[in-house]
Amino acid sequence: MVERSQKEVWKLTPWLMIALLLGNFLLMAYDAKTTSQERVIRVWTQAVANFVQSPVTSVTSGVTGYFQSISNLRSAQSENDKLKQQVQELQVEVQKSEDLAKENERLKTLLQLKTESKYNILSAQIIGRDPSLWFDSAIINRGSLDGVKLNMPIVNNGGLIGRVIAVSPITAQINLVTKDKSGLGGVIGELSTSSAIGVVSGNGKRELLEMGYIPGTIEVQVGEMVYTSGQDGIYPAGLKLGEVAEVRPGSATVPQQIFIKPSAKLFAMEEVAVVLYEPPPKPEYEKSVLNADKDNKKPKR
Amino acid sequence: MEQLKITIALIIAILLQWTLRNVHEVFMYIDFPLIIVVYAALQRNTIKALLFGTFSGIAVDALSSGLIGANGFSKTLIAFAVSEIARRVYLDNLLLQIPVIAGACLLDDLVFYGLHRLFGQEPSAPFLTTIVYSLIGTTIAGTIIYLILGSFSVDSLKRRKRDSFSSRRQTRRRNPIRLGRR
Repeated sequence: MVERSQKEVWKLTPWLMIALLLGNFLLMAYDAKTTSQERVIRVWTQAVANFVQSPVTSVTSGVTGYFQSISNLRSAQSENDKLKQQVQELQVEVQKSEDLAKENERLKTLLQLKTESKYNILSAQIIGRDPSLWFDSAIINRGSLDGVKLNMPIVNNGGLIGRVIAVSPITAQINLVTKDKSGLGGVIGELSTSSAIGVVSGNGKRELLEMGYIPGTIEVQVGEMVYTSGQDGIYPAGLKLGEVAEVRPGSATVPQQIFIKPSAKLFAMEEVAVVLYEPPPKPEYEKSVLNADKDNKKPKR
Repeated sequence: MEQLKITIALIIAILLQWTLRNVHEVFMYIDFPLIIVVYAALQRNTIKALLFGTFSGIAVDALSSGLIGANGFSKTLIAFAVSEIARRVYLDNLLLQIPVIAGACLLDDLVFYGLHRLFGQEPSAPFLTTIVYSLIGTTIAGTIIYLILGSFSVDSLKRRKRDSFSSRRQTRRRNPIRLGRR
């Protein structure tokens, strides 16, 4: 190995720095220009990092679970009494729901409705979080080999968490709905009856989502549930987003500003599910619109 | 030995950056690779610090939803700036290194944020809060890590310091008694 003197090193350093800065700048320019499907470096680094992140996640969740179980022992007695009472109450509820299910079955047969699940679900685990403090994406242990594709919605039992933004064969990167500034279609109340349809987007604060474009003439109450409307062409309709936490009223010409508290626990998410949903293909007239499809590098004129 | 120590430290720093946020949210405010890059620059290991800056930055960016190369750019710039300062100013005392870590962290965040704005991408975290928490977290963690790394100091490091700051010129004093004699 060639041993360089300090003076030689000092002469070489500015040139090396310029070369490295230029290389990084070109990488940034390339990354800013490419679509998420072409991000090769990102996808393969994720796949490699999976071999580190997965064991660390399982070890930490094991350790956390162990200490959790110790602390749970303290409250076991009082919890046991409460649970006994709950079991009795639930037995009554089960009986009621069995009756209702039978009635439901009977009515369905009458109406000749087909019972089938709307979307397939794939369970996944969060194995990593965004290493940069400026962003808030997460990495799950399911990839293209499991059937995960770009823009597929991610949910947990609380509701919608986000969508897939990059896919490697064994992992996928997801963007949280609270940080997604691109927005998604939302509706307050039921889609079939409500006219409060607007655009929901993250507003930089982790706790709240912001809903816009709801006319000031429509009455919105705090506590009402918000669901996806399916009009964005990414998310299916009917996924739970959260409940209205604050309403800043508008007027006949100014839309009101609505803040939504997400129902999914974004701090404590570990187990999530990928909704294997692919939006229906866009009609021809929509494809011909400029910038309608970002993958079309040269739009038709 | 010194080279190996810093290289291992950097690999561990990248792995920690990849994994610790999933353990607890607090760890996201510590920039482990930056701490090691600044450490390498403070040891006047300039070339290594520059390469470390680029490599660790790209490794972090690849798992982030930000632009690939933004962290590499800012860390390379900081590695150069710190090594240039360390060449001119004596910074081998830990107390003097603390403001350097803080300054490097602040500059790193500002450059990273600025680059994203330049390319039309706005980071989702609030600007001021993120910078303040990052400054506190990285400075505290950096001080602790430097204490640990400093306890493994070896001879090659001392040699490099000697090269950078040459020892004081000793002027030979003439014997005043001899001057009077002829």
